[in-house]
Amino acid sequence: MQLLAAVRKDVLLQWRLRSRSLAVFVFGATVLLLFSFAVGPNAGALRQHATGFLWLAVLLSSTLTLADTFQSEMEQRALEGLLLLPASSAALYYAKALVNWLQLSIFGLSLLPFMVMLYDVPLPRVPALVGIILLGAAGLSAPGTLYAALTAQAKGRHTLLPLLLFPLVVPVLLGSVRASALLIDGDPMEQVTSWATLLASFDLIYWSLCGLLFERVVED
Amino acid sequence: MTPGVLTGGWEFVWAAYGLSFAMFALYVLSVILRWKREQHL
Amino acid sequence: MRGPLPFILIGLATLCLAFGSYYGLFVAPPERYMGDVQRIMYIHVPTAWAAMLAFVWASVCAVMFLLRGTWLWDARLEAAIEVGVVLGLTLCLQGAIWARPTWGVWWDWDPRLTTTAVLLVAFAGIIILRQVVDDPAKRATWSSVATVIAAVDVPIVYFSVTWWNSLHQIQSTPDTVATAFHLPLRMNAVGVLLLMVGLMIARTRHAQLRLQRELADPVPNQIPTATIAAGGTE
Repeated sequence: MQLLAAVRKDVLLQWRLRSRSLAVFVFGATVLLLFSFAVGPNAGALRQHATGFLWLAVLLSSTLTLADTFQSEMEQRALEGLLLLPASSAALYYAKALVNWLQLSIFGLSLLPFMVMLYDVPLPRVPALVGIILLGAAGLSAPGTLYAALTAQAKGRHTLLPLLLFPLVVPVLLGSVRASALLIDGDPMEQVTSWATLLASFDLIYWSLCGLLFERVVED
Repeated sequence: MTPGVLTGGWEFVWAAYGLSFAMFALYVLSVILRWKREQHL
Repeated sequence: MRGPLPFILIGLATLCLAFGSYYGLFVAPPERYMGDVQRIMYIHVPTAWAAMLAFVWASVCAVMFLLRGTWLWDARLEAAIEVGVVLGLTLCLQGAIWARPTWGVWWDWDPRLTTTAVLLVAFAGIIILRQVVDDPAKRATWSSVATVIAAVDVPIVYFSVTWWNSLHQIQSTPDTVATAFHLPLRMNAVGVLLLMVGLMIARTRHAQLRLQRELADPVPNQIPTATIAAGGTE
């Protein structure tokens, strides 16, 4: 199936570029450290805002991973060739979006130990937290991949991508931070499900919408 | 802030109206000037 | 592309706003609890209605461009986004000026204003996108796509901010003026709407002219030989 072939190709590509992923991880860990310095050695404040820092680190780092999504296609001018068939634009989009989702999820998970260590945060409900990270990463990945394709073809791509993406993903940020915080601090009023539903709805809407619109972004 | 009746605050009223009309006027000027410039290009 | 319609509309708008604001500032009595600060509502609510309309119209233009592909819709989109950003910025600043004496803070995360602020930044990003892209076709398609994506996000942002706030019991800006004096409100509403439409028409015409210039045949880079032989430069 076209989609599976495209995913396989991109996973292999990202594996070959894994040193870049390591650089992004180090960047994310540094961001978490910088937030500690910005707030000061106030254990209470750090613990209270830990999930906010985590998701801001993920968001900031996402611009690094997302911006290069179509780098290899642009370099080889393969973008036009890949799109000879209309069906292939959707396959290309979903393949790239899935790989970005995988990368961002792994990235978010890898920062969890740092969050625990730097901000002195317990992790009582790990599976649920993993779920929230997956939902949040999906919310960043769908519009992020679309805008990556757009900005890859434009000037000033490194400023343009975050500029377009960040206002859009405010609900993802709100939902992910709140849900993660509730999972860590305790959820007396059972609100996590509602936030998770918000995230899932955002993901559903944008994975469909961006898939539909992708063709228009890469057409000639 | 004591609950109940708010007294005064006219400086905020002037600020709000002044700012709004200033922004509207400046933008009207900007649109018309840019339009005229494009007409003569 | 010429014609006086925008100027007529803006002129009428000025009259309406002058009359409505005079009435709202000097004739209408102060409100029972909020006193004179309430008068800000007579300009704030109309601006809110106009900003909302501008964004809705921008979304319509984006969809129409994606469906029909005519340059007119792109010109209208360009105008709508810019007018919407100006109205939205004015709205947020008015909201801050109103909030300060009322709640003691410049910004209180009111869901409507917060959503407007997010939308404002999103649309400002689209304006920048338009400036960075030179190819008119790509510029039109991409900004339409970005506008649709932002438009779909508006209810989601509004809902998530409302819910985020409900945990902290934030007071919100009233969206109706709770007095019997609708005259200043209606006059200003008509005024701001006329202003918006006049601005959109003028800005659309500007965009159309610029598109015509961008899409025209390139200027020949050689003076015809006959003219050179005749000794003139035309």
